[in-house]
Amino acid sequence: MSSLSLQLADARTKYRPGERVEGVAFWELPELPRSLEVRLYWRTQGKGTVDLEIVRSVTFEGVALNDRRPFSFDLPTGPYSVSGKLVSIVWGVELVAEPGGKADNVEITISPTGEEVRLDRGEKS
Amino acid sequence: MRARDNPFRSERVLSLRYRLGGSWDALLVRFERLGRRAAIVGPHGSGKTTLLEDLAPRLGAAGFTPRTLRLDTETPRFEPAFLDGFFASLGPRDIILFDGAEQLGALAWHRFERRSRAAAGLLVTTHRPGRLPTLVETSTTPELLESLVAQILGDPAPELRPMMPALYERHRGNLRDALRELYDWYAAVQVETT
Repeated sequence: MSSLSLQLADARTKYRPGERVEGVAFWELPELPRSLEVRLYWRTQGKGTVDLEIVRSVTFEGVALNDRRPFSFDLPTGPYSVSGKLVSIVWGVELVAEPGGKADNVEITISPTGEEVRLDRGEKS
Repeated sequence: MRARDNPFRSERVLSLRYRLGGSWDALLVRFERLGRRAAIVGPHGSGKTTLLEDLAPRLGAAGFTPRTLRLDTETPRFEPAFLDGFFASLGPRDIILFDGAEQLGALAWHRFERRSRAAAGLLVTTHRPGRLPTLVETSTTPELLESLVAQILGDPAPELRPMMPALYERHRGNLRDALRELYDWYAAVQVETT
């Protein structure tokens, strides 16, 4: 049995810049990984090269095979979650065990309204 | 359509893997028989880089350590200090996977090839044969393009099928560019759903 999961507080996925993301990571693993880490990242999706930046990370120490740990991140002021026709900037929180790269991932949006900024239709929603 | 929803966004296209005509084991045997010094040869957008990427883990499973290098039109040469460090770090089980060998001029290639002999092997991609014995010649067909499009869309795409032959011809068999055009097509014509 092997599983890794993330839950954000109140299942919230929409945030404003500078707010705090809180959640719980929990896992059940057959052997201890070399590292277990929660990462806040953004990446691009679209026509061009995929860019990725890990903005914050928390490494869990002294973990057990079956364990759960709270985590929190203070969000940066940008970039906002945005989508045009050529590129989207997508934010997310992921739990990663190395080696092996087993992971769970939750996408979030960051913007002044909490909604993704839409440029593909010429207006913000 | 949002870029993140476009079925032909780059992460989807890059997830397509090389469709080898024969077996991977046979290809590795052929590489061995060529003294582990060979070239993947083919035109733009025919899958050379993808094949090189797909060979890396198989070489790793065979006990080698793939060491990748890449040049392209945006980065057409190596910094001398970088190459010095690279060759100094080579181990006896390292195989150099060099994507874009055609970027090196004749003299630079000659030097590179000579220095690479310290490695267990050298596999390059290039547009024309001649630099090393050819391991594979990559090529494309309109049917391959159609099959890859169907794979990306998860289903045969009846509205796109009539476009395939002209799309293939327009890009002279360059599937990478053909798939980019499909990205633009989806970005322009798809009805907003979200």
